[in-house]
Amino acid sequence: MYNSLTRIQNVFGFFTTVAFVVAAFIAASDFAYDRTPSAHIKTTNVQVVKGRPHYYSTKKEEYAIMKFSMDADLSSLFTWNTKQVFVYVTAEWTSPSKSSASAAAANQTNSAVIWDSIITAPSSDHLANIGPATLKKLRKSAAGKAVDPKRGLLSLKNQRPKYQITHPTGRIAETTDVRLRIHYNVQPWVGFLTWSQTERDFGRWLRMKDGLSRAFTLPAVKKKDEGKKAKA
Amino acid sequence: MMGGLQNPRQLAAQVLNFGLILSTAFMVSKLPPGSHAPATFAFQSVFSTGMHYNKNNPANNSCFFPPKQMWKGLSVISDSPSPIVVVLSGSMEPAFQRGDLLFLWNRNVMAETDVGEVVVYNVKDKDIPIVHRVVRKFGEGEHAKLLTKGDNNAADDTELYARGQDYLERKDIIGSVFAYIPFVGYVTIMLSEHPWLKTVMLGIMGLLVVLQRE
Repeated sequence: MYNSLTRIQNVFGFFTTVAFVVAAFIAASDFAYDRTPSAHIKTTNVQVVKGRPHYYSTKKEEYAIMKFSMDADLSSLFTWNTKQVFVYVTAEWTSPSKSSASAAAANQTNSAVIWDSIITAPSSDHLANIGPATLKKLRKSAAGKAVDPKRGLLSLKNQRPKYQITHPTGRIAETTDVRLRIHYNVQPWVGFLTWSQTERDFGRWLRMKDGLSRAFTLPAVKKKDEGKKAKA
Repeated sequence: MMGGLQNPRQLAAQVLNFGLILSTAFMVSKLPPGSHAPATFAFQSVFSTGMHYNKNNPANNSCFFPPKQMWKGLSVISDSPSPIVVVLSGSMEPAFQRGDLLFLWNRNVMAETDVGEVVVYNVKDKDIPIVHRVVRKFGEGEHAKLLTKGDNNAADDTELYARGQDYLERKDIIGSVFAYIPFVGYVTIMLSEHPWLKTVMLGIMGLLVVLQRE
């Protein structure tokens, strides 16, 4: 009865059970923390240029380059179970659908990420894909802290977009009612992935306060601007 | 649960259940920039003996459910052919690393699959599941055009798609990631990269069956 196999079996079984129960508690603890995210975003400079999807392409497309300024307070998202927060800014607009097949949907919604950023928690800095100097600086900024809510405070002035966007038709100039929106995705050490709520609160997690820019219209194609590179 | 763990056959069954659950969680390759797609792994058949063995043993009340039923159940609930997947490479780092376990959900109950979601998709005519984030969506419904990108990659996935395929559609996606457990999937990677481990496990299993008296 009490041979070594049984003992190994008991130890292994007990270990897995304890590990899963602890993991479940850690995952559940997310719901006990308040989340009070807020953000403001506005465009500072919007251009549309002609470009090619890649170097060898002969196709000409219009690309929108939307510079923006934003201030975000996502500090409440950083808890002991936060591995990283992925922040991203999307541009949203509707375009009239051209095909008769989808006549029911008179307008098609579009959304595209124009900028994103990975904010690691101090506990996951070593996993970030950054150079040694940057890593040292990042480590120093949160020396001695396991959780650093300050990293959730973002302030960008006249930020260039990381991605220059177009529409599958290749035409995007003079699009009306474009809005920028800030989103986040909290990725935990263990448990559920969570995204920003835009409409309703969920328990202690409040929806994103503001975080949507005013509607704006894209300008006409800027002439004689071949220097701009196509999509990143 | 300790009561059910009194003999080595059940230990073996439990270990194999564990292996089976993880092995049927088929591998998700996240391609780092410039690398070639790694092959996917399928070794369910190797473990099917363990499965039947367990089925004939309903008294086994270990903490792992009979894997086949559990797997099918999860599959039905989540509407995904593969509700649990193991991460193979690092294009979504630092969020997901090699050996992490992802849980997928493939139903659009509240809203459509949207920009920002992390999805597992299959490229047309290729059986290489990839987990990346949706970064663009044009249009609505099942023919909406979706573009994906790995958080850790510089470029989007246009290069990875099939020839002539510029965007994904909803049907290419086999699920969105909703939960995450680190490390656990490493067992699967170990087993598939060192096939002799499987032989050893089966050998021990067979030996125990032979040696064990009821």
